[in-house]
Amino acid sequence: METLQLEVLTPSGPIYNGPAKSVTLPGEEGEFGVLPEHVALTTLLQAGVVDIQKENGVIESIVVNWGVVQISGNNVVVLVDGAVAIRGENEGDIARSIAEAQSLIKSIADSNAMLATVSARIESAAHNLL
Amino acid sequence: MANLKEIQRQIKSVSNTQKTTRAMKLVSTAKLRRAEELAKRSRLFAQKTNQVIAEIAGRIQCNKVGGIVNRCFIENDTPEMIDIIFVTADKGLCGGFNMQTIKAVKRLINEYKNKNVKIRIRGIGKKGIEFFNYNQVEMLDEVKNLSSAPDMQRAAEFMTRSINDFKEGIVDAVYIVYNGYKNVITQELHVNRILPANIGDYDCEATKNTTLELEAQDEEKMLDSLVTKYAEYNMYYALIDSVAAEHSARMQAMDAATNNAKEMVRSLKVSFNKARQEAITTELIEIISGVESMK
Repeated sequence: METLQLEVLTPSGPIYNGPAKSVTLPGEEGEFGVLPEHVALTTLLQAGVVDIQKENGVIESIVVNWGVVQISGNNVVVLVDGAVAIRGENEGDIARSIAEAQSLIKSIADSNAMLATVSARIESAAHNLL
Repeated sequence: MANLKEIQRQIKSVSNTQKTTRAMKLVSTAKLRRAEELAKRSRLFAQKTNQVIAEIAGRIQCNKVGGIVNRCFIENDTPEMIDIIFVTADKGLCGGFNMQTIKAVKRLINEYKNKNVKIRIRGIGKKGIEFFNYNQVEMLDEVKNLSSAPDMQRAAEFMTRSINDFKEGIVDAVYIVYNGYKNVITQELHVNRILPANIGDYDCEATKNTTLELEAQDEEKMLDSLVTKYAEYNMYYALIDSVAAEHSARMQAMDAATNNAKEMVRSLKVSFNKARQEAITTELIEIISGVESMK
């Protein structure tokens, strides 16, 4: 099956680089999913959660605060300002990444509604991990 | 003839200095490795950002009647006011590293002064700030402790003022001057014009057959936020590149100092031995002549 080549880059280095079955992105106009053979597209992202479905079916979540995504062919490049991946070997690590993600979102959130939505998404992403 | 004790004291002092410089060199080597790694990882982001910006700006340029209107992409040959941002180190002991940047800034200032352009100087790094303060050059901003610990957030905050002033038309160009890292033994001076952004030539023909959908309702809005990020990011990159260069310069300077100290100890040892031999000879002569006189 075809896969996407996904790159998530931050100024301090890449946070994800590899194949993915699909990816869900928090676009300015709302969340949208990208599958292989997606039409060429460039758009802005808002604060939210990027869900990456990896080749083995595992979903990895990355919290971002702002970004641009460029999709061309099967290459997806996500440029973000700040990003925190929700991952970890044990509960302690995961809890730490959740806290980091939440402080990242808090630093830019302009409305409580948005903060609440993203926080809820973070919680559910973390819940899936356990 | 210098006396023995004096030479011995000097040898001790020089070898102590040598120990310090060697330690500083080792510290710089370790720090350089980290800074280099950071710069390398960060470069990927720079490439992609520039690509995306060039692509969008290029497409607007090609497809829109009248070309691009965003101020951030239009060349301005007759600027009235410019911002010069310089990055130097917070610490010295790194050879000509800071001075090179300072000289470049002075050159740039003179160049624009001759054209009657108003200049605002915004400084990062203690050494450069101290220099311009001493020479009574007025500065708009002085930021210390940023160049030794680059931070995206702080770099962005610092840059915001220039970006906003540029967008509002208060300044017509923004330059960043810094000494960057080329390889372990060379630094490269960069004088970069950040705004208006230089996107290079765009090949309109090549894109005619491909489609690119811009989802954002407003291309301008997208370009605007991209350009802001682009400028902020360039500021951040200047900082990390400068840190890497600073450490490599210091490493070199300290290496040279260590070698000098080694050389100095060697020549001091020679004169110490000479003095010691002389002392022995004198003593022997004294004894022999004493014995002779008793005969």
